[in-house]
Amino acid sequence: MLLNRDDWYETSRDLDWTLSYVDPEAAFPARWSGTEGIPADAWQAWDEPFRVSYRDYVRIQREKESGVKAVSNALVRAGIYEKLDPAHVAASHLHMGTTCMVEHMAVTMQSRFCRFAPTPRWRNLGVFGMLDETRHTQLDLRFSHDLLRADPRFDWAQKAFHTNEWGVLAVKNFFDDIMLSADCVEAALATSLTVEHGFTNIQFVALAADAMAAGDINWSNLLSSIQTDEARHAQQGFPTLQVLIEHDRERAQTALDVAFWRSTRLFQTLTGPAMDYYTPVEQRKMSFKEFMLEWIVNHHERILEDYGLKKPWYWDQFLHSLENGHHAMHLGTWFWRPTLFWKPNAGISKAERAWLNEKYPTWEENWGVLWDEIIENVKHDRLPATLPETLPSLCNLTQLPLGSAMSRHDLAPHQLVYSGRLYQFDSEISKWCFEQDPERYAGHQNVVDRFIGGQIVPPDLGGGLQWMGLTPDVMGDDVYGYAWAKDYTADDRAAAPVA
Amino acid sequence: MAPFPITGRFVGDFVPHLVAVDTDDTMDEVAVKVAVHSVGRRIASPADFAGYDVLLNAEVLAPSATFGSVLAEKQVLPLQWFDVRFRAGVPGDA
Repeated sequence: MLLNRDDWYETSRDLDWTLSYVDPEAAFPARWSGTEGIPADAWQAWDEPFRVSYRDYVRIQREKESGVKAVSNALVRAGIYEKLDPAHVAASHLHMGTTCMVEHMAVTMQSRFCRFAPTPRWRNLGVFGMLDETRHTQLDLRFSHDLLRADPRFDWAQKAFHTNEWGVLAVKNFFDDIMLSADCVEAALATSLTVEHGFTNIQFVALAADAMAAGDINWSNLLSSIQTDEARHAQQGFPTLQVLIEHDRERAQTALDVAFWRSTRLFQTLTGPAMDYYTPVEQRKMSFKEFMLEWIVNHHERILEDYGLKKPWYWDQFLHSLENGHHAMHLGTWFWRPTLFWKPNAGISKAERAWLNEKYPTWEENWGVLWDEIIENVKHDRLPATLPETLPSLCNLTQLPLGSAMSRHDLAPHQLVYSGRLYQFDSEISKWCFEQDPERYAGHQNVVDRFIGGQIVPPDLGGGLQWMGLTPDVMGDDVYGYAWAKDYTADDRAAAPVA
Repeated sequence: MAPFPITGRFVGDFVPHLVAVDTDDTMDEVAVKVAVHSVGRRIASPADFAGYDVLLNAEVLAPSATFGSVLAEKQVLPLQWFDVRFRAGVPGDA
């Protein structure tokens, strides 16, 4: 007679043994597992709610894979991609180039949970997480490979992380830090709990909804399928937080506060422009800020409350950043568009501008006036004036431009001298993150550091583009060829705020 | 005569830039090297343009002072933040 799963599940999942031939510290070094200051038996309280057996896992994943492939095969054959709005398509280029290899990095993170996590329950769940992330990588590669014939930018799903493209370097730096260099405990709090359980909702739920509305059923379906896995393996964060809080509450608070801010900055870069500028205005479901407030902010507040933690000290500044940060990243990426491997939509036709003013009451004063000068230059065929001649100054924590966290009215130096070197930050918050562990971040080189260090030859914009691996077939330009500027007449110096 | 990297912010713009200045540059020349990345690109030039001021730690530097003399007098590290704004009397932005 076969046993029911509940009869054997815990015996199987909790299988462990007492080490006698090797020092437990040598087998599970605290600097890898993150267990310093936490007694070994505390991990017996670590539990997860999913109760997945390997047999169940394989059966369910097989069904998911069949579903995604059936939809993908049908839509690729039907040539749906060629009919999509080019501005929306840019969002899928951006996603594939900056996300595919992060999924692959997550395979390594999960495999480290399998090996070094301090409880067999966690190690067991890490196996499924590792298989999940392998699947996600393969899904992204398959999707991109199918569309490579339509656009060489899909090559960047695999290529991007082997280039020095500045945005990719910033993304890679973040995930190198929180997935590959962090110990298991910190990786679970920063990646599983903060990024996967919180922020991926905005990439895999909000963007999936926008993609569906834009008619990109294939991509939307892929994103939704990935999200079902995230919802499961992200659960590794909660029991880890519970154990850590009972033994080192301050460490838990700091780790979450750092991860939440760094994740905010990342998603302001990757998802904010896609939602508020690239998705055709009539197909937008919610603004980036609205989605953040409903899905991320409320969610994070609830977690903090449930676990008796405080809101981060920077909460008011974070909310202010929600009004501004992704608008700054959008203006910056559009202006430095030759440094991108996708074609950004300016997204400031009069109809789009009205939407922005409705959703962001301060948009006109903070951002519209800067776009007005760009519009003047486009209208008068002064395109060189709409392009950069140098690099923006970059943050030594996020590696994103100084000024891209808040509005232009908040722009001020946030600097510190550490070991005789001047470090700069995009906000007081990023500076605080750096100060929590300066030795960890001090050696991370952003693109400006590399430029000054002589890595970019010749040391000019052309040399920079070559160093970033940007070739003419993928180099970014305005996706509509500046057609949106026709909205603005000769004496229309300032587009009237329509909100 | 030696190049030196600074962080140059034109007041009113949203982002500062990496700017290479020279120790022989006067502050007027430094101002132009910073302003070229903002004025006429994202910041409109005023009709009654009267030049620029360069500021270090909120202090206006003498227009004829060379960058080298500022280096000698004040503690300036590579990537030091300098502000540039339209000269007083002209409506800028902050």
